[in-house]
Amino acid sequence: MIPRLRIGRVMASRLVLAVGVFAYFALSDDRFFTTNNVFTIFEGFAQLGLAALAIGLTIIAGELDLSIGSAAAVGGILAVTWAGFGLVPAVLLVTLVGAGFGAIQGYAIHRLRIASIVFTLGTLIGLRGLAFLISNEDTVVVPDLDIARVVKHQLWIFSPFSLVTIAVLIATAVFLRYSRWGREIFAIGGGRTEAVAAGVPLGRPLVLTFMLSGAMAGLTGALTSLKSGSAAPGGFADLLLPAATAALIGGVAITGGSGSVLGIAVGSLTLRFVISGLSLRAEPYYALTFVTGMLLLFVIALELLVDRPEARQRFGMWRARLGRGGSRASPA
Amino acid sequence: MKERVVTERVVEAEAAEEAAARAASPWRVPVVVGSAVLLLLLVGWITTPRFVTVDNALIIVRSASIIGIVAVALTFVTISGNFFSLSLGETASFSAIAFSFMIAEGWGVPAALVLTLLLALTFGAVQGLVVAAGANPIITTLGAGAALFGLAAVLTENKTMRTGSHVADWLGRGRPFGIPNQTWAFVILTIVAALVLTKTPFGRRLALVGSNAAAATATGLRRGTIAIAAFAIASLGAGLAGMFTAAQVGQGTTDQFPELTINAIAAVLVGGTVISGGEGSMLRTAVGAVFIAGLDNLLVIRGYSFGVRVTVTGLAVLAGVSLFTVLRRRTV
Repeated sequence: MIPRLRIGRVMASRLVLAVGVFAYFALSDDRFFTTNNVFTIFEGFAQLGLAALAIGLTIIAGELDLSIGSAAAVGGILAVTWAGFGLVPAVLLVTLVGAGFGAIQGYAIHRLRIASIVFTLGTLIGLRGLAFLISNEDTVVVPDLDIARVVKHQLWIFSPFSLVTIAVLIATAVFLRYSRWGREIFAIGGGRTEAVAAGVPLGRPLVLTFMLSGAMAGLTGALTSLKSGSAAPGGFADLLLPAATAALIGGVAITGGSGSVLGIAVGSLTLRFVISGLSLRAEPYYALTFVTGMLLLFVIALELLVDRPEARQRFGMWRARLGRGGSRASPA
Repeated sequence: MKERVVTERVVEAEAAEEAAARAASPWRVPVVVGSAVLLLLLVGWITTPRFVTVDNALIIVRSASIIGIVAVALTFVTISGNFFSLSLGETASFSAIAFSFMIAEGWGVPAALVLTLLLALTFGAVQGLVVAAGANPIITTLGAGAALFGLAAVLTENKTMRTGSHVADWLGRGRPFGIPNQTWAFVILTIVAALVLTKTPFGRRLALVGSNAAAATATGLRRGTIAIAAFAIASLGAGLAGMFTAAQVGQGTTDQFPELTINAIAAVLVGGTVISGGEGSMLRTAVGAVFIAGLDNLLVIRGYSFGVRVTVTGLAVLAGVSLFTVLRRRTV
């Protein structure tokens, strides 16, 4: 199995990268490798990991969910609005709503045979409008700030938020690796026509992928907003950039079918190492955006240069697949 | 081997089905776009007398101009089979800052104009180059957009760049025959772009590469060159939008165009251009931009909130792309 070998090689290189970045910042700044800063890194990881998993899963399935930022904004506002029900019910409810919305979105994409980038661009706009609509165009605030304190309560280097993220990552990893439904997501991403010809039902993995990305987006929005005690309808507009960067650093192949939850976690951590290291040097937020963008371009270049002809060929296949809606593009 | 044959047959059958549908109904998409505009006019005329007036029509076209210029330029990218660019707003902001800087430095309007557009052109060409090398256009432009935003912010320390003079006022505020320059530019560029697409060898090559990359390569067309040109044109459109706006308001900032990218893509999609490439129309993109602006205008006159307006826009995009996808596939 060539794909497995490839994952191994990519995974090893990404682990080396993560360790290298960590070592660089740890050696160059004594404030980096301290309990409090590692806690801060994990707090950032808690949010980024879920978002990277949401976008990473859709990339693995050969799709792209552009709506995660808007879905997170709606999730945040719903969670803060429902905070009166209690922390756990509010978070669970928002996650369920996100999953429900994602399932409908996946079903629509499947039934209409529409390119997911087109459909999710529509929901990106629509959900953003909904966020403004349900919040009356204003920041919503939790009734009781104790909720925020619980979410970010420090337990050594963890908090309830980061522990939830780690649990979700582990559960998703087990599901993808050991269940038939999980492996179908990889199958439709690697070679869709072949997978369908071999008897994989296209609908189930598509609905499942978007259901998971919707749930993760909702959960990210809910926990991040509850942690800060408020949610703004314009929030999470730039979630896509760090999420996609983390997923690709983590070795998720943009061409689909290849990647792992462990990789996504490692990629998210690597990006948080970089951001934490630069934040300690008091770099402004836009410098962090610049570095994130350059990192994304660097990873793209890496993928192109490492296996160039293959990458080019796969891009053609990706196009053909996305163009299910009306393409005459050939799969080569 | 056998599976491969099956695969190829499936792909061929789907392609044949779509080609048949297309041949049977070249008028379907234009009819839908036209009907949507008529419906909007009818609803507006019945419910809101103020909506269907010459003055209001001019207001709508004027507000659609900046998005329209970018959307028409972006249509080249979509038709070439490279989906869309996520760096348009950042390119426009960068151009607005660069133009303001050059005016403030006293380089004169002609030099500032040419240099700003050259800068935008270069940014686009570089992104096109990366895409031509086999990278995914959406992820590439996501990274490039972040890098451009970051670069502009680092260079200006994220401060507003003012022109500090009135020498460029004629460009941004000029109204020959009572109609703003921006609107003239929108109309003229739509016509020029339509002519380039339908009457020049470049336009036909662009559509061929987009509709069937393999056939285009087989006939000796260079996909890479086309991709570079398409992204350069899209970026040029964004540069023009940034320059007009900078000249109009006398300044450039890094977050001057927060919604430009998404709105321009929405206009292309509402205009019914096929996302996988090969088929599209500049005129329909322009109508798409005007339709979205008109819908927004009607809702503003009716007193609806921002949230309602954005939600309705999202629903319109979803309805449009779903309808186009289904109509393009049905043979009857």
